[in-house]
Amino acid sequence: MSRRARNRTKKKIVIDPRYIFILLFILCIGTIFFSFRYKEKFKPVKEAFGNFITPMQRGIHVVGSTVADRFRLFTDIQDLIAENDALKAQIDELKTQNSILTQEKYELNWYRELYSLDQQYSDFEKVAATVISREPNSYCNEFIIDKGSEDGLAPDMNVISGNGLVGIIIETGRNWSRVRSIIDDSSSVSGMFLTTSDTCIVSGNLELLDDGYINVKMISMGAEIYDNYEVVTSYISDKYLPGILIGYVSNIRTDQNTMSKEAYLTPVVDFQHIEAVLVITELKEKLEDLDGVVSSDY
Amino acid sequence: MIIRILAVIAEAVLLYILQTSVFTSIALAGVVPDLLLILVVSVAFMRGRIPAMLTGVICGLAIDFTYSSFIGLFAVMYLIIGYLAGFSNKIYDENDYTIPLILIGVAELFYNLLYYLVFYLLQGKLNIGYYLVRFMFPRVIYTVLLAILLYKFLNVCNIFLKRFDRD
Repeated sequence: MSRRARNRTKKKIVIDPRYIFILLFILCIGTIFFSFRYKEKFKPVKEAFGNFITPMQRGIHVVGSTVADRFRLFTDIQDLIAENDALKAQIDELKTQNSILTQEKYELNWYRELYSLDQQYSDFEKVAATVISREPNSYCNEFIIDKGSEDGLAPDMNVISGNGLVGIIIETGRNWSRVRSIIDDSSSVSGMFLTTSDTCIVSGNLELLDDGYINVKMISMGAEIYDNYEVVTSYISDKYLPGILIGYVSNIRTDQNTMSKEAYLTPVVDFQHIEAVLVITELKEKLEDLDGVVSSDY
Repeated sequence: MIIRILAVIAEAVLLYILQTSVFTSIALAGVVPDLLLILVVSVAFMRGRIPAMLTGVICGLAIDFTYSSFIGLFAVMYLIIGYLAGFSNKIYDENDYTIPLILIGVAELFYNLLYYLVFYLLQGKLNIGYYLVRFMFPRVIYTVLLAILLYKFLNVCNIFLKRFDRD
């Protein structure tokens, strides 16, 4: 039986792949524009997909990190011994420091009461979460954590780790949230120098990341800043709570185009090995206009 | 036919989870291998253009739903790769393990260039040399290395599934 005859007997419809390609291409381009315009329409689909995939990711993350830990066991043992010695020395040093600090803490509490500075970020309610998956394209620095709207999380909540700022939640599902870290190329945070109160913009830069830096821009020319000054989130930021440590500046120079200073910043958080994070479940109060919410990217 | 579709979805889900959860913990030189691309190109080589395009859209949507602000961007990138790689089906041979690796390498480079074009060039980041050396070449090498194992597995699956095909 010839091929054509067989096709006819089975009534098989043969379509040129070219047309399917064009059809799917137009469909995809259509959904890009549609989802750009009506973001909320896709929320249920995204939620459903997240609910389906998150439990599996959470399970396999445990396996993955166990395997990675095993690998590390063999490769890092020399480093660990050296580090252990260094840490032991550090413990002694810290013990003495700690006793001094406990004394000072009483003093500090007293001063705080005096100034009624009870709105420090250390007092905010926090939720602990684990990083369960990362962006698969290597270029971005976004990751998924295992807590979502069920645990009281919402977009624009600040994420911290240890003592430093990690990033901000940009999307939440029922049991997962997507976090954009401050080292991501598209992230920018309104910051402030702790000692001089000069404001600046801290933005991620992929090209500097291997050296462990991100960019600090728009520092005013008159600012008297030097290397290793601390940068914290500023009071004028719309989304970030004030006073969270971001990192330390270095390499300060003048940008001729904008007549401002710019510098590099070393984040305090180790983004390579980030595992557990804390989400501050307090949103910065938005400025409201008469006709709606005013917000900016910073 | 239905078994084929279910198999592709199962493979896509498995590789997606591996790529986002396991390989990010054991990333080499800061890059993650592109397992979904290996799947798309393998299907293209083994089965032709139409299955590859559908696989591409499924894999792309999986990334879109979790990691993209717009739906369809990665779907369209994988769709183009599936379509183009699908032409290679004409020279498919069950025992050929070299051509698919070359195809996967070329496709990975193409995918990265597309990604650079969409996300960085349009932002005015012209330093393509840096992105090539730092991200694209390491990703191509890492992906091809993994493809050596993964393609073999996918090929065995394909040969096994042939039993269920009618005529």
